[in-house]
Amino acid sequence: MVRLSDLPDYEAAHLLAKNGEPFSPPAWVADTRPASDRKFVLITTAGIHPVGEEPFLSADASYRVLPGTPGVDFAMSHASVNFDRTGFQQDVNVVFPVDRFRELAAQGEVGALAEHHYSFMGAGLTAPEYESSVRALAPVLRREGVDTAFLTPV
Amino acid sequence: MSAIAYFLEREGIATTGISLVRENTVSFAPPRFLWVSFPLGRPLGEPDNAPLQRRVIAHALELLERKAGPVLEDFPEDVVTPIAPAEDGGESLVCPVSFGAGSAVSADWQARLRQEASALLPWYEAGTAARDRTTFGIVDADPLALSQMLGTAVDEGELPPHPIKHVLEDLKAFYTESMLAQPGADAVNLNEWLWMDTELGRAMMALRGHLLEAPEPRTRALADTVIPRWVILAYEDN
Repeated sequence: MVRLSDLPDYEAAHLLAKNGEPFSPPAWVADTRPASDRKFVLITTAGIHPVGEEPFLSADASYRVLPGTPGVDFAMSHASVNFDRTGFQQDVNVVFPVDRFRELAAQGEVGALAEHHYSFMGAGLTAPEYESSVRALAPVLRREGVDTAFLTPV
Repeated sequence: MSAIAYFLEREGIATTGISLVRENTVSFAPPRFLWVSFPLGRPLGEPDNAPLQRRVIAHALELLERKAGPVLEDFPEDVVTPIAPAEDGGESLVCPVSFGAGSAVSADWQARLRQEASALLPWYEAGTAARDRTTFGIVDADPLALSQMLGTAVDEGELPPHPIKHVLEDLKAFYTESMLAQPGADAVNLNEWLWMDTELGRAMMALRGHLLEAPEPRTRALADTVIPRWVILAYEDN
């Protein structure tokens, strides 16, 4: 479990070294609509991509497109070796819950789901180094009518 | 993950999602996150546990209705899924494949790895057919070719044309998926089997030793990307 008190000292120290400062100025989209009135995109930092497409390299702030259609195989080329991959290898929804969101959209629990989703790789870079990639992605999302992102780390 | 959330909100796209390391999320104060106590690598909790995954998602979606932030709430359920083996051991994974006598068969890693991968191939193919899904395929090469690349790297010090990290991740995916259908397979015994009981695990440790002795700093730095810290400690204890 990722309670630092449950981890060996060397792992806890490694994770605490990733702490930063509060983002400034704060950002907050003032929109309290329920999920059923929103269109979602899934974004993960798990470093995944469709099998056969360009893998992530170390210190890579770019993103990959993840088709939201069933039947696509995803591989994980994340640079870190210090997390469990067996969950993902058994069920991609453990890091990229696309099947769950398709179910929620079909049931009306979420308003709509984008056709494409996205993966970054969260490793080896500081927070500001992701800004340009995210700013480039935002208009792509807006053109698809997305107003809300569901985010998963690894 | 906090950075992605912050920069998206600055672009007017609302965010919610999962935090795995609470201390990191507190430090950055991003707009909305649900902290879960699950292991690194498993933000939705458990594979093939759709009800749990839905509860996690539902809680994170509720955060969108909060009127002010930043919001960081704790998911109330734990999943006791250790990843690294405990010192007192646990249920071992029964491997359906006989790998022969290992080093007695051949002194070179290329032959040992090829033999092991060949033995696992039918189990991989059966497993992926049953799941109708695979995570193997970072590198455009089949498992036997990847085994050859790793063996050559360890035997002769010649790194493959593909990033060695990608070769290793594909081999690990191939091995793990070969064993997923075995009774009792879980994160602990899959990882223990992979790293401690296979020629692949031993070859990766040998590769790390070569990398650490490389004259180029960039090659030496690769050593930190191939073996989990708990495995290095386990080998040192043995």
